[in-house]
Amino acid sequence: MIKVTNFTKVYRLTKKQMKEQKVNDHKKIAVDNISFIANKGEIFGLLGPNGAGKTTTLRTIATLLKPTMGEISVEGYDVVKDAKAVRSSIGFLTNELKMETHFTPDYTMKFFGQLHGLDLETIKTRTNELFEYFGITEFRNKKIGELSTGMTQKLAIAVSLVHDPEVVIFDEPTNGLDIITAKAVTEYLQGLKDKGKLVIISTHIMTVAEKLCDRVAVIINGKKVADGDIPSITTMTGTTNLEDAFFALYKDNVKEVL
Amino acid sequence: MLWVIVKKELKRVFSDRRLVFSAFILPAVGIYILYSLMGTMMGEMFEDRDQHQSIVHVYKAPTSFLDYYENHKDDLGMMMTFDQADFEADLIGVKDGNVDLVVMFEEGFDQKILEYQTLEQVPEIKTYYNPSEDYSYPARNKFVMQLLEGYELAMLGERFGHENYAKAFMVDVTNDESEVMDESKAMGIGLSLILPMLIAILLFAGAMGIGLDTIAGEKERGTMATLLMTPVNRETIAMGKLIGLAIVAFVSAACSFIAIMASLPNVGGMLSGGRDISITSLSFTVFQYVQLLIIMLVLVGMYVGLICITSVRAKSIKEAGTYVSPIYMIVMFASFSTMFTTGEPALIQFAIPILGNVLAIKQLFMFQLGMDAFLLSTIVSIVITGILILMITRSFNNEKVMLNA
Repeated sequence: MIKVTNFTKVYRLTKKQMKEQKVNDHKKIAVDNISFIANKGEIFGLLGPNGAGKTTTLRTIATLLKPTMGEISVEGYDVVKDAKAVRSSIGFLTNELKMETHFTPDYTMKFFGQLHGLDLETIKTRTNELFEYFGITEFRNKKIGELSTGMTQKLAIAVSLVHDPEVVIFDEPTNGLDIITAKAVTEYLQGLKDKGKLVIISTHIMTVAEKLCDRVAVIINGKKVADGDIPSITTMTGTTNLEDAFFALYKDNVKEVL
Repeated sequence: MLWVIVKKELKRVFSDRRLVFSAFILPAVGIYILYSLMGTMMGEMFEDRDQHQSIVHVYKAPTSFLDYYENHKDDLGMMMTFDQADFEADLIGVKDGNVDLVVMFEEGFDQKILEYQTLEQVPEIKTYYNPSEDYSYPARNKFVMQLLEGYELAMLGERFGHENYAKAFMVDVTNDESEVMDESKAMGIGLSLILPMLIAILLFAGAMGIGLDTIAGEKERGTMATLLMTPVNRETIAMGKLIGLAIVAFVSAACSFIAIMASLPNVGGMLSGGRDISITSLSFTVFQYVQLLIIMLVLVGMYVGLICITSVRAKSIKEAGTYVSPIYMIVMFASFSTMFTTGEPALIQFAIPILGNVLAIKQLFMFQLGMDAFLLSTIVSIVITGILILMITRSFNNEKVMLNA
């Protein structure tokens, strides 16, 4: 279970960043006092336009960032006080995850498996399982630099899941993936949910959210503006699909004209 | 866990043929070829100077000199011509390097020699040479030290009746054991001129190239975030990288060191401080080897710490390279400055990081490293390395630094 309570994240901008973003304030509120709960056996989606604060939220859940205010716990572990325990129970995936191109997929799995404290036998079983599922097996001894983009992305996912985590966090799961890989990934996420794991994703593609997510939270400009299952959100906004619902929410919360 | 990371860092370097070539083989081979070439060329230069027949033009040579020269010219290797037409043109020849030496005897030289008892001043021989020309100064040296000295002695012999009367004593004619040096120590002193500096610089250079890549490169490529997502302590990741890098730096320096040692026979006197002594005569005690190893280890620790802290703070390899170059300059400066220090350095100098370590290596080679100086430089280095490690691990925990957030 992921429990986010009154989470706020404020970045301090450097002078250069202030100039770039044309603001006079040193502080930039990326996420403003949001709370939600995501449970096991469901796929939870964070929806919002670019820059809404989705990635910041997911990175904070994954212990890469520290909350400025509020609390976040994963499987009962606090992301600040028990960061190590949190990292053990999560798999954090983003399409930005990069791997050393010099090594082979096999070695990379072994290395990260060891860092997660797995024994070699378990690593081998997990590697075979994941490689088989994502179709990496025949490339396992090639250098990562020689693999195709799609294959590298699939490997990055396999690496993040080597320790069979209870909670899977996926930042923009289908972004930048080719259509075949994207399908394999969404199917895998559904499989994880069926196994009783908790999957939390962020996306700005509403069709993906509609297809994958059991429940969503809509974030706009760092604030949570709605959450619940998809039918309840469409009902609330008086629309028929998630995309229309999202634009309705956006219009209510942002003054700028669409 | 630490070992898993160290092993990965080492595998990254040692399984990459290009890196192995550029970090270990290329510098070593380069040093070997460069030093051997320099040694051989210097040797050839000296030999060429020895073989060269000096062109000497002599004016107003007295008969006594002509006679003396006629009897001794075979061992001299000089082309001597007498009384050319134009003295001024000859001086220009010296300036241009066409003539090695011009010599002018005083008018009525022989007569004045005979009248030495009544003369106020003894006659003079003037030499004209060009110190900026390769052959000119050696020609003058040979002319004055060998020819004129013998000539003068012969004249004095005539004056006193026998050559031996003109000599009050001799120096080291039958004494073959005139040089009573400890060969090992002499070799050490020779090596202490240049080796400490080379060790200090090679260790840094070895760590630098790969060091910038290991942290700044990982940040730039985005592989660092993957590593930070594992449940391993950030401190462990930082230490793993530090240790891995230290090992790489050590191996790289060792390769270069072996290359220097291998090139010594070809280098001759260049590295051994001008002495013709074999490297095999250098014998350190086990304790001294241990001391050398410890000094090198703490030096590497400090270097690796410095390189890591700059690459942690930088966003890209390029930026890290900019930060690290002033540090490299300081290392070079500290190393070079020890080359020209003579005498026993004050104890406080050993407390200066890097400079103190290089001085310690120098004193060690000279068999003069005191225990207090050794401990002082070692402890200072360890403390500084500790502070650097603390700063690095704090940076690893800093989201702003690690994720550019």
